[in-house]
This record gives sequence, C-alpha cells and structure tokens, in this order.
Amino acid sequence: MKRFYLFGFLLLMGFDTLAQVSFKVAGSQALPVAASLAWLLRVFGQPWVYGAVVGYVGAFFTWMALLKHAPIGPAFAASHLEVVSVMLLSVWLFDEHLTPARVLGAIAIVAGIVCLGLAEGREQAAEPAAA
Amino acid sequence: MPAAGAISPLVASLWLLNIVLDTGGQLAFKAAAGDPTAGDGLARWQHMASRPWLWLGIASYVIEFLVWIAFLSLIPLSEGVLLGSINIVAIMLAGRFLFGEKLTRLRVAGIALVTLGVAIVGLGA
Repeated sequence: MKRFYLFGFLLLMGFDTLAQVSFKVAGSQALPVAASLAWLLRVFGQPWVYGAVVGYVGAFFTWMALLKHAPIGPAFAASHLEVVSVMLLSVWLFDEHLTPARVLGAIAIVAGIVCLGLAEGREQAAEPAAA
Repeated sequence: MPAAGAISPLVASLWLLNIVLDTGGQLAFKAAAGDPTAGDGLARWQHMASRPWLWLGIASYVIEFLVWIAFLSLIPLSEGVLLGSINIVAIMLAGRFLFGEKLTRLRVAGIALVTLGVAIVGLGA
C-alpha cells in the first residue's frame, strides 16, 4: 500500500509539473501578451496549451483517486510540492538560475506547506467520523 | 523576455487577478456544493446548474487559466510557481473569514512561512 501512495504522489507531481511547464512554453510562444483575440489565437494555435489541459485533467483525477485512499495531510503536501520539481526543471529546460532569493523563498514555502499538511492530518485524525 | 529586475505593474496585476480568480472560483464551488436545499443525485446537479454559483466557479477557472498563461510568459517559470504559492494562503484566510474555519497554531505557522517565502522571492526579483 505504501508503494501505491508513493506512486500516486509522484504521478500527481508529474501531472502538475507537466501543466506548469506547458503553461510556460505556451505563453512564451504566444508573446506579446495582449487582451486580444490575436493573443488567444496564438495561445490555442500551438500544441503546448493542450499539454497544460492534459496536466490539469490528469492531476484532478489522480487527486480524487488519492483522496479516496491516502491520508489528507501528505496528499495536500504532495499536491503543492511541484514548486520544487518545476523550479529544478526550469533550470534545465529554460536556463533559469537558482538565485539565493528563489532558493530561500522555496525553502520557506516548502516548510510552510509541510506545516499545513501536518495541520490537515491532525484535523482529520481529530474528527474521524466526519468523513 | 523582459529584462530581469523588479516586477512590472502588468505582472503584479496578473498575479493579483490570479489570486482573486482562484479564491473566488473555489468559494463559488464551495457555495454550489454546500447548498443544503440542493437534494441528491441528478436533481442536485440540476439544482446547481440552475443557479449562478457553479457557472461563476467555472468562469473564474477558465479566465484564471488564461491569466496564468499570460503571467508565466512574462517572468521566469521558477519565480512564477513560487509566487503562485500565495493562493494557498488566500484560500485558507478566505475559509477563516467566510466560513469561520479554525486556524490552529500549526496552520498559522504554515501560512506565515508560505507568505514569507513568497515575499522573499518577490522582493528578490
């Protein structure tokens, strides 16, 4: 069962990561940004925007399946930890830099997400009948 | 790509708009799903479809999708996803103020840490 959770969490992170990377490429190819039909056509005229849709839909169904079985705390944390995978991938894919501000900020954000995950877990343990 | 440096007014507006749409969308879905007069099964869906909340939630998410693409196209992706983490804080605070959901000490710590992290990234941009 542990392996099932781990696989589920990784799959969730994978879909979320795919969505964010696709958003970035789709947006970059549709520059310049404008509140216009031309911009919308540029966005939907290339394949990456559909990668974002696949990522979103995949993440949604993985999330629903996970919630049925996995404890909410770790599931909540896993659903937000894609910030780390996306950050590392952007260095590799888009030649971005891990500036001190980004690394420090990411550490604080991840610590915060872990706290919130622990809080959710405790709450669920406190009211087992509510589910 | 715009030059690195301080966050532009357009990027800041898109960021704020994303928070409003994400939180608003979630609250609208909560209002749609939590209506006690809705009944069950198919009748529940018909009831939800006949009232504005469900549609307001869907519309928010569709617009948010576009706002997020525009936002990410203007700043580095690593920075964008970190700044977007503020949505977690916004939805928890909205839950506290609108539904009286409890903020335990652990939650307050989590909210403070995420906010601090977003501030560090934003100011360091």
